[in-house]
This record gives sequence, C-alpha cells and structure tokens, in this order.
Amino acid sequence: MRRLYAVSAEAAQLGLHVGQKATDALALVPELVTAEAEPEADAQALTALVDWCVRFSPAVAADAPDGLFLDVTGVSHLWGGEWEMLSDLRSRLAMNGLPFRSAIADTPGAAWALVRFGEDGTIAPPGGQGPLLAPLPPAALRLETETWAQIERLGLGRIGQIMDLPRAPFGRRFGQAALTRLDQALGREKEALSFRRPPTPWFARLAFAEPISAPEDMARVTADVAAKLCARLEAESHGARRFEICFHRLDGKAMPLGIGLSLPGRDPVRIAKLFAPKLETVDPGFGVEVVTMTAHAVEATSGRQVRLDTVRDAALEDGLAPLVDRLTNRLGPERVWRSVPVESHVPELSVGRARPLAAPTEARPWSRETPRPTRLFRRPEPVEGVIALTPDDPPTQFRWRGQVHRVRRAEGPERIGEEWWKGEIGDASTTHIRDYYRVEDAEGGRFWLFRSGLYEADATPKWWLHGLFG
Amino acid sequence: MSDFRAGRLAAMRAKIAAIETGGRADSGVLPFGDPCIDGCLPGGGLPLGRWHEITGPGMEVETAAAPAAFTALLAAPLALRGETVWVLRRDDLNAPGLLGLGFPPERLIQVCARDEAEALSVMEDALATVGVAAVIGEVEAVDLTAGRRLQLACEKRQATGFLIRRRPFGGQARREAGGSAAATRWSVTSAPSEPPPGEFGLGAPRFEARLERCRGGRTGQWLFEVKGAYDLEQRDGTHPLRLVAELGDRQLAPALPLHRTAA
Repeated sequence: MRRLYAVSAEAAQLGLHVGQKATDALALVPELVTAEAEPEADAQALTALVDWCVRFSPAVAADAPDGLFLDVTGVSHLWGGEWEMLSDLRSRLAMNGLPFRSAIADTPGAAWALVRFGEDGTIAPPGGQGPLLAPLPPAALRLETETWAQIERLGLGRIGQIMDLPRAPFGRRFGQAALTRLDQALGREKEALSFRRPPTPWFARLAFAEPISAPEDMARVTADVAAKLCARLEAESHGARRFEICFHRLDGKAMPLGIGLSLPGRDPVRIAKLFAPKLETVDPGFGVEVVTMTAHAVEATSGRQVRLDTVRDAALEDGLAPLVDRLTNRLGPERVWRSVPVESHVPELSVGRARPLAAPTEARPWSRETPRPTRLFRRPEPVEGVIALTPDDPPTQFRWRGQVHRVRRAEGPERIGEEWWKGEIGDASTTHIRDYYRVEDAEGGRFWLFRSGLYEADATPKWWLHGLFG
Repeated sequence: MSDFRAGRLAAMRAKIAAIETGGRADSGVLPFGDPCIDGCLPGGGLPLGRWHEITGPGMEVETAAAPAAFTALLAAPLALRGETVWVLRRDDLNAPGLLGLGFPPERLIQVCARDEAEALSVMEDALATVGVAAVIGEVEAVDLTAGRRLQLACEKRQATGFLIRRRPFGGQARREAGGSAAATRWSVTSAPSEPPPGEFGLGAPRFEARLERCRGGRTGQWLFEVKGAYDLEQRDGTHPLRLVAELGDRQLAPALPLHRTAA
C-alpha cells in the first residue's frame, strides 16, 4: 500500500497528512502531484546540510530523518548573540530555498520539542525551557508512538501535567525511557549527541564581508585563520599533529583540505606553507565566504626551550621536522621513511619502514657481521647458465642480464629457511629454503646469489640473484 | 726580488681562491687521511659544502651498486654530524647492507621521488635544512642550471651533496650534459678483493675510484679498501676507506702488483 511520506505546506493546508493512504489523498485532492520517496537521497541531502552547517559551529549532529542539532555553545558570540546567529542561519537557509523551522534551547531535547511543536524561531532563555515546554503535547518528548499515544489516552495532554506527576509511578507505568526523555528535555540529565565530526574545541573561523576567490586571497586567509588557531594553541601550551581547513563556498559546498605534522606543532607560518601547494586544488566557485580551521590530535607541548645539552633536539625542531613535513605532505607518507630492523631471518622481511621522526623500535638491530648487499632487489632475478662443481658448491660461472660472470671467489652457503614457527606446523616444508652465496667475479663485481630448495637428484637447481654488494 | 715575487704570487693565489669560492667562507674538508689522495684535493680533503658527482661504468649505470656503497662510505663520517637524506628513484637500497659497510642507518632518511625533477627539488630542499649533514641523490642527469641550484642549496647550511648518476632500468641513455657545477666527479667500480693470506672467501670490499674532475685540484686514480666491513666492532671517527694503491692513468692490468715479491 502506498502512503504519503511527506507533504508540502500547501498540501497540509488542504488536510493531507503524513502516513495517509495515497489513494485517499488523491480522492481528496485529485490534482495532487506526488513523487516517489527517496530516503537515501534525503539522508545524503541531510549530510550535505550538516557539512554546510559547520560554518556555524564545528559540532553538528544529524538527527535523521529530517533534523539536525547544532551545538552553539561558545560560538554564538561571533555573531553578537544567539538571536543574531539564528537570524543569520534562517536567512541563509531561506536564500537556499529550504523550508525549515528552528529553535535554540539549553538541551537538545527541549530544542527538538520547541522546533516541532512550539513556535518557529523560539529562543529559550537559559534555564527557562520548563515553562516553554509545559504547554506542548507529550509527543514533543521524542517518545515511541505507542508511549505518547498511551499517555494522551490517560488524559495527560501537556508536558506540564507530566512534570507535576510523581516520578516513580510515572516511570513504572511508561518505562524508564520516558523518564529519561523528560529529564533530558529539562536538562536534568546529560545527552550525548553523535556529531558528524569528532567535536574538537580547537576551532577557528573567519567570515568575510565579500566572498573571496583570488589565489593570493586564499593563501592570505589560510595564514590568517592558522594564526588565529595557533594563537590559542600557544596560549594553552598545546600543539597539534593534524590540521584541517575548510572553505565554505557561496553555493553551500564545503571544500576541506588537511595536512599532517611529524611532531606536534603550532607555527602558523609553517602550517600555512604546508597548505599552500594544496590550495590550487580548491575550486572557489562563485567565492568563499567562510573559512574554518580545526586542529586534531592535540597534545600538550612545552614551549620552545633553549637547551644547551641537546643540540640534536634543537636541530630537529628547527629543520628536520619541517623538512619531513614538507616531504610527507608533498610526496605522500609512504615515500618518506627510515629503515628500521624487523626481527626476521628472511632478507626482504628484515627491513621495516618507520616514520622518520618516530621513536626507535624495540627490535634487535641488524647484525654487523653477516654480509648483506647494498642493493636488494624486491624480486630476485633469475640467473642462467649456472655451472657448479657439486650441488653444494657455489657456482663457478653464471649469466645475468645477458652477461657471463666467471666467479673468482665465493663465500657460503648461508642457509635461510622459511619461518616455520609463524605458521601451522603442517605447512612447514623444505621447499622454501634458500642457500645464499656471496660471490665475486673476475672484474670485482660482488653478487648475492641463492639456490632455492634442497638438492634433488632428478631436478636441476634454480639459481637467483637477490642483491648486489657493489 | 724573490721575496717580492713570492709575495705577489701569494696575493694572486688568494685573489684567485676568493674568486673561485665566490667570496664565501671556506667550509672545511673531509680528509681521507692519506697524503697520496689528500694532496690531489683542494684544501687537503673532500670539500664540504659542495656537491660531488659519482658515476659508474658499464652495468653500474643501471644498478649503481658500487657507486652507492662508495658514496655511503664517503658520507659515513658526515653521518656523525647530522642526518643523511637519500633520495631514490627505485627503492632498492638495503639498510642492513649500509650498516655492514659502516654507515649508520639510524641516521638515514630515505625518500622515494616520482621523477627526476622531483628528486632534484627534494635534494635541494634537504640540503638547505638545518640538521642535515649530507644529501645523497640518485638522478640520471643534471644540467648546468640544476647543478648551480644544488650548489646554492649546499652553501646555505654548508651541507654536502652526493649525486649518484643512475639510469632507470631499461631506459634510453640520455645525452651527456655539457658542463657541471660539481666540485668533484668520481667514477667508481668494484675491484677484486684480496682476503688475508691463508683465508678463504672474500676479503674486505675494494673499490677502484677514478677522480675524473676536481675543481682546484688534480685528477687521479686509486684503489680503496673498506676498513672494518662486516665487523662487529664499531669504528672510531676515522675515515672508513683505506688507500691500497695509487693507480696510473693507464688501463689496469688484471693482475695488480700488490704482492710484489722482493727479487
């Protein structure tokens, strides 16, 4: 059966309502225009609206299917007050042609109730949501439909009447959830909202009288908003590892960019420089009117100290950390690394990659005595024409890349087997055994060759070149 | 008269030296510790605060194994003063191998660049950074402008650059660039090792290095041996390369007159 999913204001005036059978609605209003409901598209539109609202406050939570919460604590003063902020929000929504209702209250519950059942645009004074909620119906408490219908059936038509009831019998009769909702609306109980972005108190915002779009302006506002945020970090002795800037365009789209630092930092010039090459990718469209910047992974860092004993630390902060940041942000984090030991006998597994300024690993360092090549091929290359006197002997001659090398001196074998203790005992076998030889040809070239597998009478052993010593 | 001439000559030499260095302070040298080779280099050692070019003949143009090992050995004393940045195009440098030669991998930051221009710009950036003592880069060719830019970056913080000429595998040979701003140019290849008498296997790695070009110095050709390769004991601050023999400019005969018996 087809039912109405949503109705416009005009349709509501004609007496249509949500949940009505589509055939009944068409019988009442023959010229009714209907469209197929698209809940996924609605959810996407709500997400887009949530992202757009970040210009007002970093803490935005979607309230599916048709609402959103904006935590305006500590940001309304940027507009000069709650009323000014709300009228700015309303005028911008109206400009975009969205039908809406809005309210501001101390608690999400009260705001939810006022926006749906109260007067549009209500601003509850601090601590004064009680009298405003009292005349509203129980449905305003965000209860299950059965619950509020039952409350109304018992003659409790207003929230004010519920507030006067003794709590314990009410809780027993209608469930703990109803009591929680009442307490949340009145501010007696805290409510956690799931914000779209992790709420961060490290937030800075710049709004412009005229939209900007020139590249040099974008670079300047990046520096300005970074300076604003970093001044706060500096004042509270904190530094952040990740910064995110968001350009809010005139047409409601938000363009985010992010950078990472290897050490927590708060130098606005450095941060702006790291953003600079990425600004080209931002399409300002008809102009950018608001820029926000947030800091993530914030940690307490002591200010810069001149310490005489640690020259290395000073150099790190001045030069190396910015260099690593520049390279990592330009080339990508997988292209800048420091090789660290990994406890493994297999040559290609014994080298790990760590972030250049990370603390040293606990793993046992590589041995200095076992010769390892300067160049290690990621995939061993096959060698042909190998002549060895006996199966256990190093080769006396081999061909690699079309060139024949006569072996003058050789060392080995160094047997490296599979790390059987890492897998199931049944899977262990002798097929993954390599006998490595270090050989030197007549010209002095030093090679790292291995023969794979154990010697078998009927099979010719396979030889590989795994690295070059130089 | 002779005093007068000597004085004028000295003044002229100082003038020429000032022109050559462009008026900047001398940033020191890294001596090899052997007068045979230090005498060929200006100031008695490998000039710091400049950049050096290292190439290899034949297959080494593609693999660059011997040039990489030799460069790591040249840069090993510098690693005690600060970080080393190694800019690669192919990521096949093996840190345990460098440790075996005596280069500390814990002071090495590896960067894999996507193309030639990026490798050069990363080198330039790293050279101008505080706390970086040496930058090693693997590029195919460097033209005069890029070389000059590298030189200016070296002068900023007196860091030393090493440029290993390496062609990508299977790539076409590029036209040789005309001039070069490098302080020295070396051509390095592996040389047969000599194990101590009565021992089997390979001896300490040896390199034959030809100094093809040297600003303010002389060219030459030498045979080096690595001191304390694959050795458990850490060396002190001496240069890891030991001069074995001075070679003439002529082509090497296969048998080296190293163990000449007294006739």
